[in-house]
Amino acid sequence: MRERFVRVGNRCRESGRLHKRTSHGSLDGRADVLANLRGRRAEWWAPAGGRCWAIGLAIRTENLRKVYGKDAEGREVGLLDLSMEVEEGQIFGLVGPNGSGKTTTLKLLLGLIFPDSGGGEILGMKLGDPAYRERIGFLPEEPYYYDHLNAIELLRFYGGLFGMGGSALETRIKELLDLVGMWDRRYIRVRNYSRGMRQRVGVAQALINDPDLVFMDEPTSGLDPIGAMQMREVIINIRERGKTVFLCSHLLKEMEPLCDNVAILARGELRALGRVLDLLTTGDRFMVRAEGLTPEVVAKMSQGAQKTEQEAHLYTAYFETQAQALQSAQAVSEGGGRVLFLGPQRHTLEEVFIEKVGG
Amino acid sequence: MRPIYRVAKATFHEAWRRRFLNGILVFAILIIGSSWVFAYLQPGAELKMIIDVSLGAIRFFGMLIAVFMGTRLIPDEIEKRTIHTILAKPVSRAQFLFGKYLGAAATILMNVALMGAAFLIVFAVKAPQFKAMTTESTMTMEFMSGNLVKAVILIFFELLVLLAIAVASSTVFSWIIASIFSFFVYFVGQMAEFFKQLANPERDISHAAQVLLATIYRLLPHFEIFDIREAIMKDQFMPWDVMGKIIVQGIAYTVIVMLVGYLFFNEREV
Repeated sequence: MRERFVRVGNRCRESGRLHKRTSHGSLDGRADVLANLRGRRAEWWAPAGGRCWAIGLAIRTENLRKVYGKDAEGREVGLLDLSMEVEEGQIFGLVGPNGSGKTTTLKLLLGLIFPDSGGGEILGMKLGDPAYRERIGFLPEEPYYYDHLNAIELLRFYGGLFGMGGSALETRIKELLDLVGMWDRRYIRVRNYSRGMRQRVGVAQALINDPDLVFMDEPTSGLDPIGAMQMREVIINIRERGKTVFLCSHLLKEMEPLCDNVAILARGELRALGRVLDLLTTGDRFMVRAEGLTPEVVAKMSQGAQKTEQEAHLYTAYFETQAQALQSAQAVSEGGGRVLFLGPQRHTLEEVFIEKVGG
Repeated sequence: MRPIYRVAKATFHEAWRRRFLNGILVFAILIIGSSWVFAYLQPGAELKMIIDVSLGAIRFFGMLIAVFMGTRLIPDEIEKRTIHTILAKPVSRAQFLFGKYLGAAATILMNVALMGAAFLIVFAVKAPQFKAMTTESTMTMEFMSGNLVKAVILIFFELLVLLAIAVASSTVFSWIIASIFSFFVYFVGQMAEFFKQLANPERDISHAAQVLLATIYRLLPHFEIFDIREAIMKDQFMPWDVMGKIIVQGIAYTVIVMLVGYLFFNEREV
């Protein structure tokens, strides 16, 4: 469906009526708009008469390079000419093995270290510009804080760095400590925190200024399964409010369902970048996965299959065409079995990662 | 200015929870509190002894606090990675560095004030007794107490200069090297006048050596100007305008050293 969009300037106030209209356009959905905006400053667009939403680039890097030296084999160690774009309003995952350059990338984007060459933009501002720090949040991998403070004092400290204060800050602190499940433990000093508690209060400090872009380094590390689930909910909630989340993690199983886009780094080089769905879908084969099959049904299901696999009671067959896969699924269904999956062959992020990283 | 205040406040509160610094303060107050005992070691010069021991203790322990706190301010933040969450917020490196410095300066102020208060209490209690026993001072207690307060104030400003040297050097070196460097500058700075004499054109040395010695003299902080113990013992009045000049010199040196420290810190990767 062709949807009419109105360009409404750089700030969003819920409705297009509140904005200065600068241009009009009729576009075939978000992808076209994104294509038009690629490489430009973030802008706000709204379906005509409707709620507006952000599109544009939260992060853009161009040949970003930081070399620390050379390894024993003479290869440069660090980050080698990273060029990537992260659209606003998405969860972006940066994955890679140890020493691949994830932390270096993060530090460069945060201005904690300086690039040898290349550059980029954060929220439309030049890399290193202190102004964008007003609009970002950061959760480090192993968060360390002034350990003589308790959770409330810690958040007052970080809020104060943004010029926040008074009842607005106190309300925000209560909201955030409730969100991360630390309100009941708000008077415990940081020095007595477990790793999980540090992580929770770390999320609260990263969100204190209601940032438009949140950087999180291994956000679920140190959390128990319930804590990890709550963290994922927090991350999804951030995206639902139109914000961007930049995640660094090696926990691929967690990143796969969470991220809209991922970049895979290895030895400082970008090995893959794109939508998670696109990366996981091979596109050249279709697969049927089923269970509760008799040997006869397995035989029917496998007719015309390029390859079959059996894992315990699970059977998987791969076909060249979609029609063959549909026929196979039909056979399973008629034979009393249960079709668990039918569609283009999908890899797990872990498989894609191993393929791209080469190990 | 708000980030500077926040960083300074956090630094101040954190410093008061450091056992090492508290230990130094307690030890210093114990020595100052028992300084009257040392007075008996030098019969006839009890007042000199009590002033020497107490002001010496304030300077010595203040120096330890300034160097060990100053040289760890930035390296500890980097090592513990607390700096990452702070510099990722709208806090410039200059604000962070000066906030840390001001927090440490406030800590030194409190330490010196506590040591000075302990000294003045001991002096107020014991000095009249010693004054009756000796003829070494002809001045009134009020006059002497006023001079002692000025001496403590000057020690504080001397420690501010030393703190700046400690902080600035820690932006370049590890905290251990920075501590050694700071102590070295402090001790050599006590002898700055000596370099001036060495650089005297009337002496039989080469022009290059003269220039070198004169440069060292100009670059070194002149810590000896902050020490007015001799003037106190001679019952000399320390005018406020002279005090003011010494303090302004100290502040100017501190600002220059901190600016140099900032130049290094601004380039430093954390």
